Formats: sequence, structure tokens, C-alpha cells
Amino acid sequence: MKQILKLIGLYLIALIGFSSCEKDDPKIPNEEELITTLIYTLEPVGGGEKVVLSFKDLDGDGGDDPVITTGALQSNTSYSCEIQLLNELETPAEDITKEVKEEGDEHQFFYSSNIGGLSVIYSDKDENNNPIGIATQLTTLDAGSGSLKIILRHEPDKFGEGVAAGDISNAGGETDIEVTFDIDVL
Amino acid sequence: MYYRFFLLYIILGITRTGWSQECNHFISGVVIEAQSGKKVPFASVFIEETGQGTVSNEEGAFIISHLCNTQIQLTVSYLGYQTYKDKLEVAANKDLVIKLQPINQELDGVDVSARGISASDRYTQLVSKQQISDGADKNLANMLETLTGVSALKNGGGISKPVVQGLYGNRLTILNNGIPQSGQQWGNDHSPEIDPLVANRIKVLGGVEAIQYMGNSLGTKVLIEPESLKKDKILSGQAGYYFESNGLGNGTNLQLQQSAEKYAWKINGTLKKRGDQKAANYYLTNTGVEEANVAFQLESVGGDRWNWSTYISSFNSQIGVLRGSHIGNLTDLQEALKRDEPFYTKDHFSYSIEAPRQTVNHHLGKFKSRLYVNDSAWFGFVYAIQFNKRKEYDVRKGGRSNTPAMNITQLSQYLEAIYATKVFDNWRLKSGLQFQYIDNINDAETGILPLIPDYNSFETGLFSGLKRHVSRWQIEIGGRYDYKIQNVAAISNTLPREVIRYNNHFNNVKLGLDTRYFWTSDTQLLAGINFSSRSPEVNELYSNGLHQGVGGIEEGDPALNQEKAFKGNLAMHTSAVNKLQLEVATYYQYIHNYIYLNPQDEVRLTIRGAFPVFKYEQTDAHIFGVDFTGHYHLSEKFKFSAQYSYLRGHDLTNDLPLINMPSNNLKTSFRYHQEEFVFAKNVSFEIHQQYVFKQDHLLPEQDYVSPPDAYHLIGLKLSAENALKHGSIRYYLKVENLFNVAYRDYLNRMRYFADDLGRNVVLGASVSF
Repeated sequence: MKQILKLIGLYLIALIGFSSCEKDDPKIPNEEELITTLIYTLEPVGGGEKVVLSFKDLDGDGGDDPVITTGALQSNTSYSCEIQLLNELETPAEDITKEVKEEGDEHQFFYSSNIGGLSVIYSDKDENNNPIGIATQLTTLDAGSGSLKIILRHEPDKFGEGVAAGDISNAGGETDIEVTFDIDVL
Repeated sequence: MYYRFFLLYIILGITRTGWSQECNHFISGVVIEAQSGKKVPFASVFIEETGQGTVSNEEGAFIISHLCNTQIQLTVSYLGYQTYKDKLEVAANKDLVIKLQPINQELDGVDVSARGISASDRYTQLVSKQQISDGADKNLANMLETLTGVSALKNGGGISKPVVQGLYGNRLTILNNGIPQSGQQWGNDHSPEIDPLVANRIKVLGGVEAIQYMGNSLGTKVLIEPESLKKDKILSGQAGYYFESNGLGNGTNLQLQQSAEKYAWKINGTLKKRGDQKAANYYLTNTGVEEANVAFQLESVGGDRWNWSTYISSFNSQIGVLRGSHIGNLTDLQEALKRDEPFYTKDHFSYSIEAPRQTVNHHLGKFKSRLYVNDSAWFGFVYAIQFNKRKEYDVRKGGRSNTPAMNITQLSQYLEAIYATKVFDNWRLKSGLQFQYIDNINDAETGILPLIPDYNSFETGLFSGLKRHVSRWQIEIGGRYDYKIQNVAAISNTLPREVIRYNNHFNNVKLGLDTRYFWTSDTQLLAGINFSSRSPEVNELYSNGLHQGVGGIEEGDPALNQEKAFKGNLAMHTSAVNKLQLEVATYYQYIHNYIYLNPQDEVRLTIRGAFPVFKYEQTDAHIFGVDFTGHYHLSEKFKFSAQYSYLRGHDLTNDLPLINMPSNNLKTSFRYHQEEFVFAKNVSFEIHQQYVFKQDHLLPEQDYVSPPDAYHLIGLKLSAENALKHGSIRYYLKVENLFNVAYRDYLNRMRYFADDLGRNVVLGASVSF
């Protein structure tokens, strides 16, 4: 019995030694895949002032709220537009658009708006002659206000009915980006 | 004298078994004390292979009927006596005289899990060796599902975890060979990393019986253990193979064992591979599974005062997750819910496993030793080490699908010292000191902030249990105290990224009292009460971020308190009515500070769109239910069985139903058995049906979609045996979901996206030699 007590004593001492161990610092992952920023630049076809819409969530999902910058479009105007995706957590900021372009057949942007007469058509193609949607042309008609929603889908069914024309309903895939801008057409 | 006694029994036609199968043989005998010849009433008599058992009556006599004519291992145990074990032929043994030796070195004390039946044990809560062997195509949780009151929480066909009387995950400890399984049990999409074929025996423990094991549960535990080794000097073993039509799965298992002069060894290996499973009407693309497991056991033989055993096991699996269940955000989920057939469904079968998928490795090494101090006391020691690695792969951009999105390594060490002795007036005392160290590390290669932070924990536990058999009563009382230190190092989700530290100290207490009253030798009443407290786990405290597998943002709460639960059980087993055996168990559990993931009203805006937010919150809840099992022997050849489970979980503070509670269900089966049929032996044919009620105790706003409708499945099983020159062969044919019914199950997360499994035909054989 004495021996057992001795053992237990030793054990408790070992335990106290053990328990003072702090957990080592975790390695902070290099979040190279993260998309923090979407910039949608609209340049009037006939020349004029550029409009820049942006969505920035620098700390990724959760944490602080994203910062959304919006702008106003002119009625009856055509814009030639380009999307840029950035990971601004890296210095210098990493351009994710390139990655999307390289895997063009696995990605597609979709644009939709509830503003009457506002339409977006694709002006780029992937290797299968399907649109990617990094470069687009946006046309406005009447003045009005509402929203413009931009969605990026990963691995959509690009051959699905209406998908190549920009209809998301049969696309499937995972959403990588879904942002909404409140805009006015003046 | 005994003979006359038995004759009377047989004439009266009393069947007094606790559990039975087909077949019309019986064994009978009397249990006496070796020296004095005194009768031993209420001793446990148990058949290892089938799980059938009974207790001796007031005269020390017992009979177990409905046995097949095979060789069985009979175990007779009674507190204060050495456990009796023997291999015998059923047909030749009708009047056994079993002499029990009063306690000496072999005593197991209150090591109630060791053999046979204990006070808190319910017969139905055991999956026997035969059931495991015939269910080789199933995983651990699916095997446990055959027990009344046990369900499985699933994520498709390859991932499932057991739910016992409404408890699962952090509330249900899984004991791998007596050691608390140290893995990633927090996620509903994580399966226990254990191969049941390597285990041989699975039991659900409750009450005092569970108290001697470490583990942060709310009372109930699942014990998976290998059988002890045979002491035969000849090489023996078992080789099994099965094929299943759904998923074109193949599996094989080989077990070999032999004993030498000083030690005995056993090796047990399993290989399984299955491709895409099929629902009633379409393939479930990317639902394949691959598994390779091995276990090695080495035990000392003889050893007068000292014995030891070692156990090493390795579990390795790769599991595909339905491609169409991988979603980006809330909009994606809503779209998926609208579809009949999931996105990405291919029109052909494939064995390939792509992202989303999981790879899991779990290795266990255990050393156990026991020293007999004197004739009525022993000292036990256990050391175990576990290594757990889980990698989860999501569909990712830029060729990163082969980089895990979650990569966690967990290393755990376990120490146990136990002392058992006889105290006071024949009470068996067992006390122990246990220690577990866990180190959980995320690999930064994922490029994603971890959902579960890095942590280590040190837990020390002290338990004590007393057990006594007094005439018609068996009483067990026990308690344990655990002290836990948790050191957490999390990464902030705001900028700049920095390390946030938390240090926690928890005190947990468990107390229990179980009684068993032998009303007659046919009828037993069991009653128990217990109290358990459980400290919150790391995921409940510090989860922070997007859980891709579930498509929601999960936020822990560092201020969570302990859960405290009271549970009461009342059960009755009876075979007093001719040919009928009944078991009824009722339970009620009140849980103060019940921790659950509460969906919030807010949605969180991210660049990927809106996500639902779930926060870990606490409430007061109760879970209660009734489990019913009955067998009726229509004749020697026909048997009818029924199982019914009713369960209800409710959040008392908010007056809301609890989510993820099993649906009520009713299973019945009708079995025909013939001893000899043409050239085969023990031919049995069974037709069974399962009716799962709709989970109607849930409000529409508590889920994305209302719970699936009730469903009804029919199955068949045909099995037979043949004697071989050395040993025997057993073959079986099983058909599950015979009519290929399209259905969805409430506890399967895949129900949001796809139907559950369609028809499956399993063909298997196993040779024992």
C-alpha cells in the first residue's frame, strides 16, 4: 500500500510538471486563396468618367464588416467593364483574377439587376467558347435606382440551358463571390 | 435431484432466456459453490458468440433455450467468485454442473465490463460477435443502430456517428478498447475512427458502469473491445469476405491467433473498398469509401500473480462526400433544396474519390498489466497512446483541391492506475486514478484560418465504485471527479492576425447508483439514477469561422458554463410468460446548460455572399423516452421480434423542440430456422421491416426544410452453415431496401441534397478454422 501511495505521489508531481506547459504558438496560415476585394470598373464606351464599384473585406469571413463603395451610372450609356479580384492580405496584393482566367472553363460571373433596362453581356470567352465574365459590357436605358448583383460560381455547368447567356438558374456550382451594389442610374 | 428439477421446467415449458435467436436446442445446468456445494442463485450465465444470457434461479438452476447446435463459449459469473469459462457443444450439454471457485487471483472485482452481464447492463445493448461478423459491410454506428434506442447521425453513406438515447458527439464518449477515443468527435460530419471488425464486441454503457471510464460525456458511453485470446496452441482464426451491390463494394477480414507457452497473439486485418452508392433513382456521385485496418494483440499466458497485454491498432480510411452537397453559401443551399436530383450527379458508376473528401488515420497503442496483491485484491496499470490525423479536402480554386482545407493532428497519451479489493462485508471496491493528455494541432498548409484552434489539455480523474450482490439485489454505486486544464491558442479573425490565448480550469463530477432486483429468475427490475457534469469542449467555446461542410458561420462562446445532467432509468426484463421475452426501458434526463448550436436571426455578409450564423448557446432541456424489445417464439422454428423506440427532446427555457433528435421508429422481424436443410446446417430465413416516423417535434423555422416524411423499408436475410474438416463455413445473403424505396432520413445531413440509399444486396461468407 505504501508503494502505491508513493506511486500516486510521483504521478501527481509529474502531472503538475506537465500541466504548466503552455500551448505553442500556432503557425498562422498563409491565406493565399482568400479573396478580400472585388473591384468592378466601368468605363463609358464613348469616353467619360470611369465608375468604380468595390467590395472590400480585408480580414476575410467573419471579423470586421466589409466596406462597400458604390457609384452612379449615366442613363442610355454603354460601359465596357472589367472585374478585378484581389487578395489584399498579401503584400503586394495578389491578383486572383489571373487564377480565375486560367481556370476560365471552371468559372463564370453572373450579373443581375432589378433596374429596368440595365443589361450586361459577356465580352470574353474560355477555351470552350463559353463566357467567363471578367470582361463585360453594361448598357443602361432609363434612369432609376436599384441594385446590381455580381456572382462568381466555381464549377458551374456552363453548358446548362441559358447559362452561357448569363442565366444562373441552371448553373449550379459553388458560390465563390456574391456581392450586391446599390446603384443609381442618373 | 437437479434432474428432477429440470424435468419440471421442461414439462412446464418455461423458456427463461434473456435473449435468443433461432434454433431449438437448449443448455441447462446448475451453478454451485465448488467447495461447499451450496447453490448460487442469480449468477450470470452468458454465451459469448450470440450474446444470449440468463441468470440462475433461486435453486441455482438455469436454462438457455433457442440455441443452435454449435460450439459455444459459456461464461458464468457471480460477484465474489472466479468467472467460469468453458467451450462446449450445445447438443451434448443439458445438465451442466458449474462449480464456481470463491474469489482468488482471477477476480475481476467490479470490472463489470469484463465479462457477462452486470447490474446496469441491458441485454439489448450489446452487439455480439456474430452480428459484427454478419454486418462486415457496415461501419460502427450502423452496426450499433441495430440496438433499440440507438440511432446514427449521418452525412451520406460513409460517415455516421452513434446517437444513444438522444446523446451524441461531445456528449457520448467512445471507448476504444477502454481508452477514451481521442479524435475529432465535435463535428457532425465526423465518424468515429474505429473498425468494428477489429473490435469483436460493442457495448453501450450507462450509469455506474460508465463511471469507471474517463471521457467527458453526459453519462452514456460506447465501449468497443476485442475479445480475449484463446489459449489454444493450434493456429486458429476466421477469414471473411463480402460483396455489396450498392456501390460495388468488396471487403475482406482475416483473423489469426495462436498461443504459445508464455504468451498468445492475434492479428486482425480488414480491407474495404466501395464506389459511388446509388439512391433509388440516381447515383450518389463521389460517395466511395476505402479502408485498411489492422490490429495486433499480444497477451501473457499463465502468469501467477502478474499478467499483461498489449494492443496495437491502425485505422485508415478515405471517404468521399456527395459532390452535390458541397455548397458555397446560403443561396447555393436554397437552390440545392429545390432540386430533385443533386447537382453534379453523373449517370455512371465510379470508384474514384475526389474532393470533397476526408482522409482519416487513427493509431492506438495500449499496454495493460495487472498485479495480484493477494487473493482478493489487484493493482492494474494501463498506458495508451493515440495518434489521430484528419484531413478534409474541399473543392478549391487554383489546383488547391489536393491541399486539405482542414488538417488536424491530435496526439494523446493516457495513463491509468486501478486498485480493486474487497471491503466491508463483501463489497467489491474498485478505485482508480486516470490521466489524459491531448495535443491538437492545425497544419498551416491549408491556407485557411482553422475553425478549431490549437489546444492542449490535461485531465486527471479519480473514480471509485462499490458493488455488492445481496440475495435478490445487486447494488452498484460509484462516483468520479475530473480536473481538466485546457490551454488554447487561437488565431484572431480580425487584422492583424494574432494569437489569442485562453487557459481554462474545469471540475467535473459524476455520481451514480444502479440497482437490479431479481424479482423471480424470469423477471428483473433495473433502476438507476445518475448525475453528470460536462465541461464545454474547444469547438463549443472557440469555433470561429466558416464551417464549409455545413455551409454556415459557427461562433463559439468563451463564456459557456458546464452542462449538468440528472438521469433516471427504469427497466424491466421478463420471460415469465411462456415463449415471450420482453424488455422495456424508460429514461428521463434533465440537462441544465445544454449546449447547442442556435441559428441566429442575422446573416453575415461576406464577399461570398450571405451566410447563416450559428452560435453555441445554452439552455435547459430534457430528453426522455421508452425503448421496447420483444421476442415471441411462435414455434420451435418461427420467431417474431419487435423493437420500438420513442424519444422526445425539448428546450424548456425557450419552449422549443431540440434539433437533431432521432425519429421514433418501429422494427419488426419474422424468422424461420431449420437445423438441417439438405446439405446445410442452421439455415435461417428472416424478413424484417423498419418504419421510421416523421420527426414531427420540430418547428418549421428550426430548419431550412421541413423534416422528411416517414418511411418504410423491407429487408431479407438468408444464412446457413456447413461443417468443414477443421471448423465451419457460414454464408449469408442480405437484401436491404428490397423495394428500392426513395426516402430521406431526418438524421442524415445528405437529406438536404439527395435521397438515401436504394436497394443493396450483400453476399458474404466467413470460414472459421
